[in-house]
Amino acid sequence: MSQSRTEKQVLEEMSDEQRALLKRVLEIERAKLHITAYDATDDLIAAVKEIIP
Amino acid sequence: MKLQSITLTNFRQFKGTQFFGLTSDAIKPVTLLFGANGAGKTTLLNAFTWALYGNMSDDVEQQDRMVTDSVWRSLAVGNSVDVAVEVCFDHEGQDYRLVRRATLRKESDNQGPIAAQLQLWTTRADGSSEVSHAPQETILSILPVGVSRFFFFNGERIENLVKKGAYAEVQKDIKVLLDLEQVERAIAHLPRVNRRLTDELKKHGGETASAIQDAIDTLTDQQTKAKDELKLIEGDLATLDEERDRTTDLLRQHAEAAPIQAERDAVTNELTEARAARDTALTERATLVATRGFQAFTDALGLQTKAMADSLYQKGALPAPLKREFVDKLLDDGACICGTPLTEHSESWDHVKEWRQRAGLQAVETAWQRVSGQIAPLADARVGLRDALANLLNRIGAERDRVARLEARKSELDGKLKDSRQEGVQALETKRMDLEGRIALKNQRKGAIETELVNLTKEIDQKTKERSRAQVTDELASKARSRSDLVQSVKRALEEILAIREEDMRLRLDAELKSVFKSITHQAHVPTLSEGFELTLHKNVNGVELPVPKSTGENQILSLSFVAAVSKLAREIRKERRAEGAAAEDAGTFPIVMDAAFGSLDQDYQEAVSRALAKMAPQLVVLVSKSQGLGKVVTELLPYVSHLGVIETHTTAAGSVSDDIELEGMSYPYIRSADSDHSELKVIK
Repeated sequence: MSQSRTEKQVLEEMSDEQRALLKRVLEIERAKLHITAYDATDDLIAAVKEIIP
Repeated sequence: MKLQSITLTNFRQFKGTQFFGLTSDAIKPVTLLFGANGAGKTTLLNAFTWALYGNMSDDVEQQDRMVTDSVWRSLAVGNSVDVAVEVCFDHEGQDYRLVRRATLRKESDNQGPIAAQLQLWTTRADGSSEVSHAPQETILSILPVGVSRFFFFNGERIENLVKKGAYAEVQKDIKVLLDLEQVERAIAHLPRVNRRLTDELKKHGGETASAIQDAIDTLTDQQTKAKDELKLIEGDLATLDEERDRTTDLLRQHAEAAPIQAERDAVTNELTEARAARDTALTERATLVATRGFQAFTDALGLQTKAMADSLYQKGALPAPLKREFVDKLLDDGACICGTPLTEHSESWDHVKEWRQRAGLQAVETAWQRVSGQIAPLADARVGLRDALANLLNRIGAERDRVARLEARKSELDGKLKDSRQEGVQALETKRMDLEGRIALKNQRKGAIETELVNLTKEIDQKTKERSRAQVTDELASKARSRSDLVQSVKRALEEILAIREEDMRLRLDAELKSVFKSITHQAHVPTLSEGFELTLHKNVNGVELPVPKSTGENQILSLSFVAAVSKLAREIRKERRAEGAAAEDAGTFPIVMDAAFGSLDQDYQEAVSRALAKMAPQLVVLVSKSQGLGKVVTELLPYVSHLGVIETHTTAAGSVSDDIELEGMSYPYIRSADSDHSELKVIK
């Protein structure tokens, strides 16, 4: 992975939809960090369907 | 998270209900609490973790005696008593009131196990309050229990954070704290999401798209399998590496002992030889004395004999002028040489017979001649005996010295060897070789999987491109494809973000660690955080970096620096522009509550640590005893202190136990005699 690239650059190269999903995914995962057995699939699919209905 | 207050109810030493305010600001972030040994500093630290997570650290003894002893003793059987801790704090714009409470009914003198209930209320900025239905989950989402070790800790045991073997756990905690864990989890979860989405594509997408998707699925399955295997191998490698390090360490100890062992063997052999040589010399001396010892007494005898012989020669007595044998023949023949007949008892006969008495024996003369020949060599032999004895004495002395010296050396070496195990070097060496072999094999397999993964990723990308070009008429399938593309692109971005964050975090943590450590220690040691988040300490000796064995004090400082660096970075990174979007004002802010902050540090280290502590966290609660906290510590910390307090010890101990503490020119009770053993939280300012 390129060390010279920054997180900001990665984000800027993404489309609005991609950025929105990325943010949602991280929010969902972060909220459930303390539950090791958490299966995020349903929540994440719901997030994808919110962005591409 | 910033603490506002803590209230204890019959919690261990803290009898009744006791409150202590903790609200602080950026200018004065410190709360300083003094307490004697046993006053309850560790209990107070554990009150926080008990309230938050329901557990206490292992160093708290008698964990089943949660209710204050005197309260429990005075409670009538059948009655009940409450034990509780309430912690108020604010976090990301909301106020929280957290109460963990248990009610205990007295059945006997022993306190039974307690079943504490957790309650949590949230108060919004408008003053409206709400009960949380998942209080523990909410707490864990604010500060995961694993991460809490960076914020609630005992200074004396803090070095456990950087001990070898603790890295795996610590690394995981850091990832949570530094916003890496959720990225890793998302990367792990998204393939499952993608699979569900592409199932729809396969169902409705027509033959071509479906076939492509099948191929992608197969490749993805292979990819997942390879990744799982890679993870397994990495885990195995870590275990094997650790085992090899342990074995090498044992071998090194053996290697250190080996020269001593060799020297001991040599000394033992030489000692046996020296003892034999000494014994030989002693035997030789005994033989010499037994066989030639008499010669020592021949000194005067030889000389006298010689003098006597000389005098006889001078007198002409030797050799004798007439032999007895000749006289006897004349008497036997009965005639003298002059012809005179020698008749018995005649005058002539008597005259000749008288000569017989004066004549010498031939045998005596011969013997005498022989003896006189030996007198000179006898004197020489005596001188020889003296020299031989002197020689032997020297030899015996020298051998005795050698034996004594070797015995001393051997006992010295035995002492050195007592602590090191000498057995099993061969077995250890075999084990090490075996481990090396297994590590090499695993590394080989790891390399193969990594190459396979690169190829699989390429193939999946290729197929995904084919998939986007494939004709899809069905609307559902088309949508599923767009969704899958979206998920894939987000996953790729996350992978890149993870790599960027990991490296960035490590570099910044490393830099921060170096800076904090340097500000505390007077040693020219440099800490480094390796790629595997392993903490090492080095010093530069003429341009060569050498590892430094960490002393307890150094380890404590290293750990403190590490905590400070983690705490600072956790705050900083959430203020930056990130994929998660804008963060709350106090995101990543956590208090540090530390017991025995200065452990066993020297005065000058205490001063430096105090200075660093004041700047280390947005909120800091320091629990210290008089001996740890007065002097330089107070001087350094006081400008930053918003709350100053004493955990007043009340004791039933006999005698004049009272003690005071001097703070800012005033005297306050520190230890007092009382009817019951308990502690009280007293506010000074």
